[in-house]
Amino acid sequence: MKLSRNARITAVWAVLSVVTIASWLLSREDRSHGRLEPSTSITVAVLAIGFVKAMLILDEFMEVRDSPRWLRRFAAGWLIVLWGAILGIYLA
Amino acid sequence: MWVFVLGDMVIFGVYFVIFMIERTRERALFLGAQRHINTTIGVINTLVLLASSWLVARAVLALRSGQHRRATSFTYAAATCGVAFLAIKIFEWHSEVSRGYTFGRNDYFVFYFALTGVHLLHVLIGLIVLAVVVRELRHPQTCRVEIVEAGATFWHMVDLLWIVVFALVYVMK
Repeated sequence: MKLSRNARITAVWAVLSVVTIASWLLSREDRSHGRLEPSTSITVAVLAIGFVKAMLILDEFMEVRDSPRWLRRFAAGWLIVLWGAILGIYLA
Repeated sequence: MWVFVLGDMVIFGVYFVIFMIERTRERALFLGAQRHINTTIGVINTLVLLASSWLVARAVLALRSGQHRRATSFTYAAATCGVAFLAIKIFEWHSEVSRGYTFGRNDYFVFYFALTGVHLLHVLIGLIVLAVVVRELRHPQTCRVEIVEAGATFWHMVDLLWIVVFALVYVMK
């Protein structure tokens, strides 16, 4: 099903909002035990969701998807380097 | 505009990495301090900014189909979301400061206020940018599409940066 641009933008927004709520609910998972512990699985999920959100905003809202190659590469590089560094430092 | 936006993304990227390094050095402190901020408010603000970005994107699409009035309405709505974000942020900060969690309380709060503060400055600039966009849109005869699109790009960047702040400061464990 090919969506109109408006429908596509709205679908992207819906997805962004849903995964935001999902990552928030995930982060609350550790609270039920009352312990002050880091959670690798929750954080990796949260970071993965963050990566996807950032990618969607760049590609769909900022229209990087339809932009010149240099910009597509820069955006991809920024996403990979930033989230990769965040994840790497977290896991270190 | 893209040169500025990409530069800003890189600069914030450096701040984010520094945050992560400090966080790794003081894991227990950061984890403990994070409990004192209101993640629910963080989520609400994230949803507000996402909505504003959607509205700005709709505005650009409306402009491209020649619907200047519609584009203007969408932009006003996006700006309203931006103002809501500011109001919520000020309420949030006030709640923290009044409980004694101020900028110098500990390293987590230095980053919390610095990151959310610099981001807030960007929201303020973004509102000025949206005002410029509205001014363009209100005169269809002379409306410069590049200005509207550049303004939209800046606003989306503000949203993009917040996504990272939300993940790192509010949600990650």
